[in-house]
Amino acid sequence: MGFTDLLYKIFIKDGSWLTILNGLWVTVQISALSLLLGTLLGSLLCFFRVGNIKPLKIAAQVYISIIRGSPVLMLLMLFFYGIFARTGMSPILVAVITFAMHTAAHVAELLRSALMALDKGQVEAARTLGFSKWQAFKLVTLPQLARIAKPVYQSTVVNLIQWTSVVGYVTITDLTRVINNTASRTMQPMITIIGGMIIYLALSYLVYGIFHLTDRRRAQ
Amino acid sequence: MSVIEVRGLKKSFGDLEVLRGIDLTVEAGERIAIIGGSGCGKSVFLRCVELLETPNAGKIFIDGEELTAPDVDIDKIRRKLGMVWQRFNLFTHMNVMENLTVAPIKLLGMTEEAAREKAMGLLATVGLTSKADAYPEFLSGGQQQRIAICRSLMMNPKVILFDEPTSALDPTMVGEVLAVIRMLAKQGLTMIIVTHEMNFAREVATRILFFADGEIYEQGTPAEIFDAPQRPKTIAFIHKQKYFSYEIFERAFDLMEMQGKIQMFAEKYGLSSRKTNRLQLCCEELIYEMIENTCSGENILHITLDITYAEVDNSLEIKFSCAGKEYNPLDKNFEDFDVENLGATILHSLSKDFSHEYSDGVNKISFRLA
Repeated sequence: MGFTDLLYKIFIKDGSWLTILNGLWVTVQISALSLLLGTLLGSLLCFFRVGNIKPLKIAAQVYISIIRGSPVLMLLMLFFYGIFARTGMSPILVAVITFAMHTAAHVAELLRSALMALDKGQVEAARTLGFSKWQAFKLVTLPQLARIAKPVYQSTVVNLIQWTSVVGYVTITDLTRVINNTASRTMQPMITIIGGMIIYLALSYLVYGIFHLTDRRRAQ
Repeated sequence: MSVIEVRGLKKSFGDLEVLRGIDLTVEAGERIAIIGGSGCGKSVFLRCVELLETPNAGKIFIDGEELTAPDVDIDKIRRKLGMVWQRFNLFTHMNVMENLTVAPIKLLGMTEEAAREKAMGLLATVGLTSKADAYPEFLSGGQQQRIAICRSLMMNPKVILFDEPTSALDPTMVGEVLAVIRMLAKQGLTMIIVTHEMNFAREVATRILFFADGEIYEQGTPAEIFDAPQRPKTIAFIHKQKYFSYEIFERAFDLMEMQGKIQMFAEKYGLSSRKTNRLQLCCEELIYEMIENTCSGENILHITLDITYAEVDNSLEIKFSCAGKEYNPLDKNFEDFDVENLGATILHSLSKDFSHEYSDGVNKISFRLA
């Protein structure tokens, strides 16, 4: 049996490709939703964290250190087998909540470090020209924050996609789980798993590509 | 009506009182330079006038409107003030044209064409039309500062505040920025400049404020402040005076230590070795002369030595006090050389403007090094 036949047997035959595609879709869904919610929640957390309201500040700090200091799989199992066990919530929803909370902590920290790297003088310059606090934020802080935070945010996204590979533990059939199943079924772990990795790699490069497109080229 | 009026402005950070009550009225067309040592509160004062720092007490009026009133539209009043910063603070994510036009378009409702036209006009006056599309990071400090000045001019401010506009620049770029400020001065723009460039302040300003101890310590026309300062701290600042003092409490004092310290003082301010030697010689002879003649037999004594070096005219002034009997070492006839009075002879030939005074059991001597 030739190599191409082997590839055909593993990845295409008997609707194998459809199963893999379904797994990929689940991975993409969980990643995308978690990223969206996580970024929103993370921005809010960062706002609390750098704000002046003491209780919120402390709450955000505690939240961030707990979430960042514990493995995401533990958090996922805690939610699935513990907190949401009796609610009958769909496993995917639980995964989205978990990864959103996890991403939020990371996003909050990366935003905070970007804020610290920001040049306060430019905001003051905007204020003295007559811009209001909110206008100065939109005009100076936001675009510069985005520029500073982008490279770190990009790797956060790629990390998130890879972290979601553990959702198989809570009965979700994502890309990793599908690849695992296929490897057992076909008895060809080497080729199957390398194939799976290539798909993850492609996903990561897709993310890099999208970020690259948003890079504004500057005229000198 | 005055453009800026400040009454009883006070500002402290924690326990540190930076401004202890500033009163200032700036009339239209005045050009005020604020000078003073570092940490005297001159930059904080400018920041307070812009309300970037909230004053602890006092009132600020801009063009008749009270900036410090509780329910005032600060953003609107700020448009009347322009500010130029030590670190330029151009918006780094915008090109030069955007930096200049964003505020007038968004705040004054200017059309884009009108704003661009005005911007190009201003860029032409500072010689930077070719940089309209460049980003700040590709410009030199001097170019950035000139553009920062244009940016504040775009809002047609009643007054521009300059916070050490040349302090962050290479010496080679200071000139180009000062030239632009000079040009604005000629156009009669009202301005307040915090600066370390004394010659520039003297040439451009109509009034000089010398800040010290968190207040306006002395003020006047450039001629008054630079040529005839009245109060001690102003004099010390204008003449760039440096001090050295040493005290002696016993007959067997450590001469070598004193000479070493004088040497270090002299080296720090670049005194010539000839001057340094003469200074050391004078001090030594004077001290021994006085010990011998005023406190014979006593071991406990009190001598103070104060040396003032003025960088401006490279002059050295020595003030000396010694408790004990009255004695004036130069109260002699130096016509004929006398080995007995060798110390006094040396002193006589190296000093000028010598004066001696005796009161309350203390000899006070002052002279300049010839």
